[in-house]
Amino acid sequence: MSYHSKLKTDLQGAAAAGLITPEQADKVWERSYSMRTFASFKAAHWIGAAAGLFVALGLILVVASNWDKIGAIAKMGAFLLLFYGIGEAVLRLESKPAAAIPLETLWFFMPVLGIGLYAQIFNLSGDPVKPYLVWAALSAPLAVFSKRPLAAYLCAILLFTVLYWGTMGSANMLSLTARYNSGSQPLWHWALALGTLGAGAALYPGKRLGLPLGAGVVWLFVMMVADTAIKVRSEALVLLTGMSLAVLWLTYGRETAEEKAGLPLTAWTAAVYLMTFFWHYRGHSSYGSSSSDTAAGGAIAWLLFAGALISALFRKQRLLPEGATEDYLAKALLAASMLGAFLLFDASEGSAKILAVIANVILAAYGAGCIISGARTANEKLINRGVLVITLTAITRFVDLFGGLLKSGVAFIVTGLAFGALAYFVNQGRKALIESVKK
Amino acid sequence: MSKLRIILLAQLAFFGAWGGWLLSSRNADSPEFYLETAPVDPRDLISGTYVALTYDISRPTAGDCRDFRNFGPVFVKLEHRGGTANTADGPVPVYEAVDCSANPPQEPGWAAASLQHGFGGMTALYGIERFFLNENDPRKDAVSGTVVAKVKIGHGRRLDLLDLVKKI
Repeated sequence: MSYHSKLKTDLQGAAAAGLITPEQADKVWERSYSMRTFASFKAAHWIGAAAGLFVALGLILVVASNWDKIGAIAKMGAFLLLFYGIGEAVLRLESKPAAAIPLETLWFFMPVLGIGLYAQIFNLSGDPVKPYLVWAALSAPLAVFSKRPLAAYLCAILLFTVLYWGTMGSANMLSLTARYNSGSQPLWHWALALGTLGAGAALYPGKRLGLPLGAGVVWLFVMMVADTAIKVRSEALVLLTGMSLAVLWLTYGRETAEEKAGLPLTAWTAAVYLMTFFWHYRGHSSYGSSSSDTAAGGAIAWLLFAGALISALFRKQRLLPEGATEDYLAKALLAASMLGAFLLFDASEGSAKILAVIANVILAAYGAGCIISGARTANEKLINRGVLVITLTAITRFVDLFGGLLKSGVAFIVTGLAFGALAYFVNQGRKALIESVKK
Repeated sequence: MSKLRIILLAQLAFFGAWGGWLLSSRNADSPEFYLETAPVDPRDLISGTYVALTYDISRPTAGDCRDFRNFGPVFVKLEHRGGTANTADGPVPVYEAVDCSANPPQEPGWAAASLQHGFGGMTALYGIERFFLNENDPRKDAVSGTVVAKVKIGHGRRLDLLDLVKKI
């Protein structure tokens, strides 16, 4: 059943039940129906659109079958005319979103079509990243000056995609990873990569820093664990870097106007959750096949840690809502999640086990903090988040610490029963808390 | 004039100027010659089917070429040393890389390239490593040694790839 059919049924039901008058039901339905997508499209419009589509497809096929016979100048001229036509149509139809949005999308893609066409005509080849950077450079003004955020979103996505793809590669103008361990990449690659990152973040529409900052944070972490000039290899520094970046993202990544932590909070929680698995750590000082920390990588790791620690202690925290006790707890948890990495510096199993216990304690304290704070501030979401974190941690530990078929089998049965009891008590406690909130 | 119209005109000017430069480079007054090549056939996301080409001149070793070991630009001297290939139009001269230089003299025959890390050492890329063609073109399945690339030196000493010619 379509949305409008269901809406009509619901409105008729509401009118029959006497909640609203039949006239109101009709008016609400008519208003909703008139606002649907393509509402202004009449039958003649659809037939016209189909006619246009058929003619366009026919033209494309005719052109394609004669493609090799068409000269270079004719192809380039046709492209320029098409490009101008699309741009002009966008300018003239700017006030009609149904036409302007798809046309503006086409406009955004026209430069890459042109680059592809010219490459085909003139057999151009070279750096695989260059055409995409040129495309982004050509489209950036459109992204900046367009009234709609569409081109800005597309351009930012393009830049971040090229950044990840290019820097992870080893034979292009953005390459930062070493090839066959044979020499480092030129310094200007770093400048270009940082420029691409900055442009992607700057072009991302609105003041929502969460996603672009997250993309940058993840990129930096990938660069530090990959074989680049800023690589870190000791597990303690890798963990310190990861946790510091998670804290920085959580502190500065504003996702929505209401300052919900959202994805950065999930990332921080996931990072602490992963730390709980250090229980199984078997001591060795580095991973991978090659070398040790680079000086630049070490310096960046320490800078990130210092910045994250200062931010966690002195900036507004986003783990738990406002409140003096919550504030102290959240700042302590953020700091502890980073400082725990220091236990790995001696690379012993004992220290790693302590780190795993601390990570479990952080999650338990965070979950409890969410539940208590949620109860205090009448925030059901926060209570649910707390219950989720504690339950997930408990389930993981049950599954994680058993081994062997017989042991596991018995443990799973016992755990299943325990889960049943846990679920019952957790649910009872959750209901009681929510009820107390509602009262 | 609105900002968006200026952007549109700037984009069109870019493609107009670039197209003009490429056309004039292709029609530059310089001799055409041939290069031995080994093709394979991948597909490009934005330009379609092409034959990927590597050349004997991609690993230049003659003259001072062995001294160039770092990523970056280089100029390679291409010269006819007597090699020929038989095509449908008769025997054609096949050029070889005979020297490398960072600052070549102002004389014809020097082609601009970019040195990059490749399998087995540094590779000189000339920007002629792709030949775009129709999916049904038999040259798509050409194997090493069966075709030669027809090229000329265009603007900025860049090589222009003009055709892929079957040897007979």
